[in-house]
Amino acid sequence: MFDQVLFYISAFLTVFGAILVVLERNLMHSCIFLLTSLMGVAGLYLTLGAEFVAATQLVVYVGGVVILMLFAVMLTGGGLEEIKKNIVSVDLAPSMGNLITYFWGALSAVVFLLVGGKILTSIYSSAVIADSPKLFIKTVEEIGTKLLTDHVLMFEMSSVLLLGALIGAAVISRPSKVNIFQKGEDDVSH
Amino acid sequence: MELNYSFSQVAPIALLPFFAFVINAFIVKKFTKTAVFISCAAIFGSFLYSLRIFNDFVFNTYSTDYHIHKVFTWFDLSNSITGEYLINMGIYIDNMTAVMLLMVSGAAFLIHLFSTYYMADDIRFGRFFVYLSLFTSAMLGLVLSENLFSLFIFWELMGFCSYSLIGFYYEKEGAGNASMKAFMTTRVGDVFFLLGIVAIWTTIGSVSYVDIYQALANGDLAGQVAMFGFAVPLVSFAAFCIFMGTIGKSAQVPLQVWLPDAMWGPTPCSALIHAATMVAAGVYLSLRIYPLLEVGGLLPFVAYIGGITAFGAATIALVQTDIKAVLAFSTISQLGYMVLGIGVGSYNASFMHLVTHAIFKACLFLAAGSVIHSLHDHHTHGHVQEMPRMGGLRKKMPYTFFAMLCCTLAITGAPFFSGFVSKDRILGDALLMAVDNGAVWYGPALLGFGGAILTAFYMFRMLFLSFFGEPRDKDLYDHTHQEKLSLNRNVPLLILAIFTLGAWFSGSMTGQGIIKAPFVKNKEWFQTLIEKPSSNNLNKFKTYSKTQWVDETISNNNFTKSEYDSNHGLTDEQAHHVHHVHHVGAVVSVFIFLFGTLLAYFMYIKKSLDPAVWVNRFNGWYRALQNKYYFDDLYVAKMIQKGLLPLNNLLSRFDMGFYDKYAIDGWEKVNRVLYTISSKFDNIFVDRTLVDGTGTSVKLFNVILRTIQNGKIQFYFIIALVVLVSYFYSLGLNKF
Amino acid sequence: MSLISYLVISTILFICGLIVIISRKNIVAMLLGIELILNASALNFVAYGKYVSAHIDSHIMSLFIIVVAAAEAAVGLAIVIRFFQIRESIHIDNAAQLQS
Repeated sequence: MFDQVLFYISAFLTVFGAILVVLERNLMHSCIFLLTSLMGVAGLYLTLGAEFVAATQLVVYVGGVVILMLFAVMLTGGGLEEIKKNIVSVDLAPSMGNLITYFWGALSAVVFLLVGGKILTSIYSSAVIADSPKLFIKTVEEIGTKLLTDHVLMFEMSSVLLLGALIGAAVISRPSKVNIFQKGEDDVSH
Repeated sequence: MELNYSFSQVAPIALLPFFAFVINAFIVKKFTKTAVFISCAAIFGSFLYSLRIFNDFVFNTYSTDYHIHKVFTWFDLSNSITGEYLINMGIYIDNMTAVMLLMVSGAAFLIHLFSTYYMADDIRFGRFFVYLSLFTSAMLGLVLSENLFSLFIFWELMGFCSYSLIGFYYEKEGAGNASMKAFMTTRVGDVFFLLGIVAIWTTIGSVSYVDIYQALANGDLAGQVAMFGFAVPLVSFAAFCIFMGTIGKSAQVPLQVWLPDAMWGPTPCSALIHAATMVAAGVYLSLRIYPLLEVGGLLPFVAYIGGITAFGAATIALVQTDIKAVLAFSTISQLGYMVLGIGVGSYNASFMHLVTHAIFKACLFLAAGSVIHSLHDHHTHGHVQEMPRMGGLRKKMPYTFFAMLCCTLAITGAPFFSGFVSKDRILGDALLMAVDNGAVWYGPALLGFGGAILTAFYMFRMLFLSFFGEPRDKDLYDHTHQEKLSLNRNVPLLILAIFTLGAWFSGSMTGQGIIKAPFVKNKEWFQTLIEKPSSNNLNKFKTYSKTQWVDETISNNNFTKSEYDSNHGLTDEQAHHVHHVHHVGAVVSVFIFLFGTLLAYFMYIKKSLDPAVWVNRFNGWYRALQNKYYFDDLYVAKMIQKGLLPLNNLLSRFDMGFYDKYAIDGWEKVNRVLYTISSKFDNIFVDRTLVDGTGTSVKLFNVILRTIQNGKIQFYFIIALVVLVSYFYSLGLNKF
Repeated sequence: MSLISYLVISTILFICGLIVIISRKNIVAMLLGIELILNASALNFVAYGKYVSAHIDSHIMSLFIIVVAAAEAAVGLAIVIRFFQIRESIHIDNAAQLQS
């Protein structure tokens, strides 16, 4: 029972959070809704018995990535540009796009849904679905063991990746020697 | 002794001069002397080959049946429709051919020698020999030929050479006109000749002499030809047409107009062509088709043509003052005698007259050339041919005079000379025909004897005017050089003069067997060997076989030697009658000769008879004779200018006005239209549509296609999604 | 609770992320969409790991997805900031220049 409640709440959070990310005009609000959606996903992980993953999700995604995005939003002007108008545009918030882009987006989504639905029905008919979940008792221990024995290469590689990302991010966004709001002869774009 | 007659032993007779012609045509400009030598050497070679054949025919195999007959197929046009249809060429040599070959090559060789003297200071010295070589090769080919078709080929070739040689001095306008006239007049005869050949060919499928004789013997040529509503026998039609060829080539009435004008050519050319060989070719043709003439019933017609020509030309020769003109008309007259001889059935004598005439007429022309060449007029820088300016040349040119005297005696029919032998026999046979058959045959006989009187008269007139008496032009006489004996001037004349003796042709000195020459075995060799192919004598031709060009041993042991039959195959009674008539004729001939000679003597040496008196009394006739009976007038003014020329103008107006304007120039308009269409097509379709259109469509597509690469990430994302979805679709949906 | 429900959820997440990427004009907003998509795939993995194959490797896969997403978000945002330093705007259409 607890599982089901948790599942429904998490699902609700995830879905509506995602939908609101799409529809929200304000960029900051979209980030917050993303945050909620990710928290819902973490709840879903819990219902699936992946405690470690849920925890990691919460720590990394919720507490890291989204915050980072918020920083970036704030560093780049807060998403308050001019509104572009054209014939079929609805007067939306800045950087929200216009009706055309939403239309294309919706169309793509519908198409993907059809395809995905088709695949899903087949899986539903042929896949083996176990009803009773089998819980791993020592999940963290298992994961830890696997990481350092079977998947040790990926583990090390991921650390290298993170290092590279770190350094790269720092290098790329390094401000030039003069004021960052100035365009000058140090522009590397050519 | 057996002789193998292969191709290489007979063909060089005609081929050596032809090769000389070909070689000389290239080298004559640069190596003139070499070219002349090659020409003379070639004809001498032919003479040697002819001598060998003559030796074999006359001295070794003395038989009337001996012959050499080889054919090869030139074209094979046989097919399933016409059956066998071959066009053959070949060589046919019998006794007549052997004698003719020797005469032609011998006379031609001597004339070549003389030409080296006569034409030596001419600019186109070498060219003359080129033409001479071609001509002799054509004539020898004609004599050797086996059928009428190859004869016709060489006939035409000789016509061309005659045209070239008559027009040799092409700077003189008269020469150009004369050469054209000669060619065209003989052409008229040749058209009929070809018609006759075709008539025979379509009937019996071949025109070989042997086949014609065979067909006559078998009666294959009995048929009818429909002409203008009348049914004419085929034999008569064919014979008449072929005889027209003789009339054209041998200058009989009415086609005799070209021969006097042919004197515009150089004198050696006149000697060869218009005395010895080409005009003799016409008579040779008539001799070959004699059975056709006989069966076709044309002999009276032939005799009359010959007689009229003989007499008429003799009358014209009476009033001529140019020495070459006298000889030209004399030639026409003697040719008339030959044709007359054929007409009265005197085949053998006619052929003998052909040979003897060739010899003495060639000699006469060469002597005239010698005279003309040495009479150099310093004022006009030309040579003198007019007899009123000559006179007393016998002291200056003794050798020429001697040769001319011999030949004049021969032509006028003096006893002991060859002309008497042949002409007397012709006249005797004419008389025989008149006596035996009466009616129409009186005409030819009378014309013959009348012509003989005139011949004697005008020939001696020519001799006396030129060589006797006082020189009428002192200046000219003084500048003439004294003649010396030289190889290329006098020797040919003298050699020819030697052969004017009658003893060469019949063993007796008079030709009647009265005084026989000693040391001669077969005296009447000529009369024995040359046999008349009369229609009742053709059966032997049924067995003549044509051999292909294979070396075949012809042994002359297979042929029986012929004997001279003084009865000519008749019974004793008939033979006696014939001999009687012949004797009468001989006596009359002698008297005619004496009469004519004395008349000329009295008129021109003794001066007791004045020609001016006769001229005044018969002034109308005199003018008619000077205009050659107005034949030229008739042909040129009436027929050509009034008849052919307007037709020609009409046709040319049609051709240029209508045909050229519409049919030829009209295409220009069509072309213009086509060109316009084509250029429009090119502009619109090719240039605008294809070429410019390609560029425009590229730009269009560019505008369309460049929206794909707009740099918008979201667009790329959509595209990637579409591709992914379609990938899934292609992979998955079918299975699910 | 069954597999289908989880798959439905992850599909919805995926579609929302798709729409966000295609329709929004702000680069950072697009990055949000990317995060949604990544999450959808990670959820998929774990769901399959429970209901289909019962293998612990699915959890590990999800972990790595999270790692990669984090790294990618960091670098992406660094690029966005650099882009902003140059262009003075973060409108996606300003990044459409194919050749400078």
